[in-house]
Amino acid sequence: MTRTAIDRGVLAASAVFLLSVPWLIPAVADRFWVNVIAEILIWSLFASSVNLLFGYVGLLSFGQALFFGFGMYGVAIGVEKLGLGFWPALGLGVAAPVAMAFIAGIFAVRLTWHYFAIITVVFSLIFYFLALTLKPLTGGDDGISFAIPPTFRLGGAEWGFANESFQYFFILFAVAACLYAMRRLLASPLGKAFMAIRDNDVRASLIGLNVYWLRLVAFVIAGFLAGLSGALFAFFGRYASATYMFYHVSGEAVVWTIVGGAGTLFGPLVGTSLFILIREVVSTHWQHHSLIVGAMAILIVIYAPRGVVGVWRDLLERFGAPKL
Amino acid sequence: MTNTLIALAINGLVWGLIIALIALGLSVIFGLLDIINLAHGDFFMVGTVVAWTVLTITGSFWPAFLLAPVIGFVLGAIIQRIVLQPIRNAAALSIVATFGLSMILQEAVRMTFGPTPRRILPPIRGTFDLFGVEYEVYRLFAAGVSILALAAFFLFLHRTKLGTWMRAVRHDPEIATAMGIPAQRVYRVTFGLGFALAALGGVVASPITTVDFRAGVDVLPFCFMAVIIGGLGNLPGTAAAAVLLAFLEGIISSFATPTVARIASLVLMSAVLLLRPQGLFKGLAK
Repeated sequence: MTRTAIDRGVLAASAVFLLSVPWLIPAVADRFWVNVIAEILIWSLFASSVNLLFGYVGLLSFGQALFFGFGMYGVAIGVEKLGLGFWPALGLGVAAPVAMAFIAGIFAVRLTWHYFAIITVVFSLIFYFLALTLKPLTGGDDGISFAIPPTFRLGGAEWGFANESFQYFFILFAVAACLYAMRRLLASPLGKAFMAIRDNDVRASLIGLNVYWLRLVAFVIAGFLAGLSGALFAFFGRYASATYMFYHVSGEAVVWTIVGGAGTLFGPLVGTSLFILIREVVSTHWQHHSLIVGAMAILIVIYAPRGVVGVWRDLLERFGAPKL
Repeated sequence: MTNTLIALAINGLVWGLIIALIALGLSVIFGLLDIINLAHGDFFMVGTVVAWTVLTITGSFWPAFLLAPVIGFVLGAIIQRIVLQPIRNAAALSIVATFGLSMILQEAVRMTFGPTPRRILPPIRGTFDLFGVEYEVYRLFAAGVSILALAAFFLFLHRTKLGTWMRAVRHDPEIATAMGIPAQRVYRVTFGLGFALAALGGVVASPITTVDFRAGVDVLPFCFMAVIIGGLGNLPGTAAAAVLLAFLEGIISSFATPTVARIASLVLMSAVLLLRPQGLFKGLAK
């Protein structure tokens, strides 16, 4: 088998597994794992926004939680305060973070490297503290809970997140569509321009690329990915809270991305799955699972700095069959 | 009103001096090792826990002033050797590594010390009259200790061989190595010193704040603000910015909530980053 054939096989097997989860899991394990997998999908979409910026444009954002939070609040405020239905609320939960990413990006992408990492943290902290202060709008620490509106209504029948399988497939298709769009984007001239900036921004500007504008575009797309994941998470949890805007949330996504393999499409998915599965498996037996998570993050950056997907590629290269 | 304003301003000043101590450690680590240390707040937290442990075991607070920096230094040197040396020159990886470190430190403390926050009574009791407000004597003592430690650190940096080495390695690691300076050892000492400074800050602050395994999470952003506003790697600027920031937050807190004060200093920090990324105190850099 060639390397691409092995990769395709793994991909196809994962796709079949993910599509069969709502039937497969209840047959072999507790139904609770369906929701764990749905949560993994949402968080890997969030990590993908870090990956797009860091892995493909070379900007390390430590403030993606800002857009995740805007997505959550867009949905929660839309449903609870404005009385919107599912789709308008989802629209608000995507539009708000995209607009915020555009405004924040105008300032943030003027800076690079350490300064960029820090200004993104600062922006997210400003809105975290604002969300804590503006209690009437955001519910502060307690957050906003809401009842889930139906997604589709046809005659008397309704489909919505109240149905666990529907919820799972909605999340799966949203995340898969985003990853597919990201793949197309990265193969396009725009994606190549992103990578040129990552590899050398001076040269990129010398061949006529508008580095500032391209970085801003990437920042807004990343804001969209983070915002959509926040909106999905709000529907998934029927809840929005300021705690999800804290810098720890952003930091976890950076760790998941780098551990999974930054600059690879599926790295964030692998990293996120790894960490959430460990958390779910270990936390039932041992409450100090953070020790394992922390140690793993350290071991991986020391011994496999290119992440799990990087190790996988090296293995294929060494033991796998000839390249195509 | 004026009295509360003065008290809050002085509170800010005291707190700013303690933060200056911690932020100095962060700045040294950043300037020399090019590491954004996300575990720095937890180094501070380790200091507060050492203070609490020493007080519980010996019944006296004072040994902590010696013990915490020593423990911090040794732990820091070990961490540098095991975790950070293998990933040198990869700043993004160091962020992940220190994030992992932060999780381990917090969880280890939660496991041993427990999840409930505790308070330490000031070792110097009593209050005095400060413009009509009862003010704790210990806070002034804390400010004094912080000033002494800051002065000692700058003396060390400019008057000793090791301090000169540290400045040389920061300036140009390759030429420093070529001149026979053991750069690896200097890195280790620097990281140890950064940890020691934060731990000392923890001891000084422990009777003022609570001893809690999450204490570092709130301190970290504040230290970063001081480092940025003072200018990355600019040590005197960092100290000045820490005092200025805490003083401003103290004053703003007198007519608004502390959260609003925090937002104000974050906005100030964004402005500094965008308009003057070299920091407010460029003149102090050497």
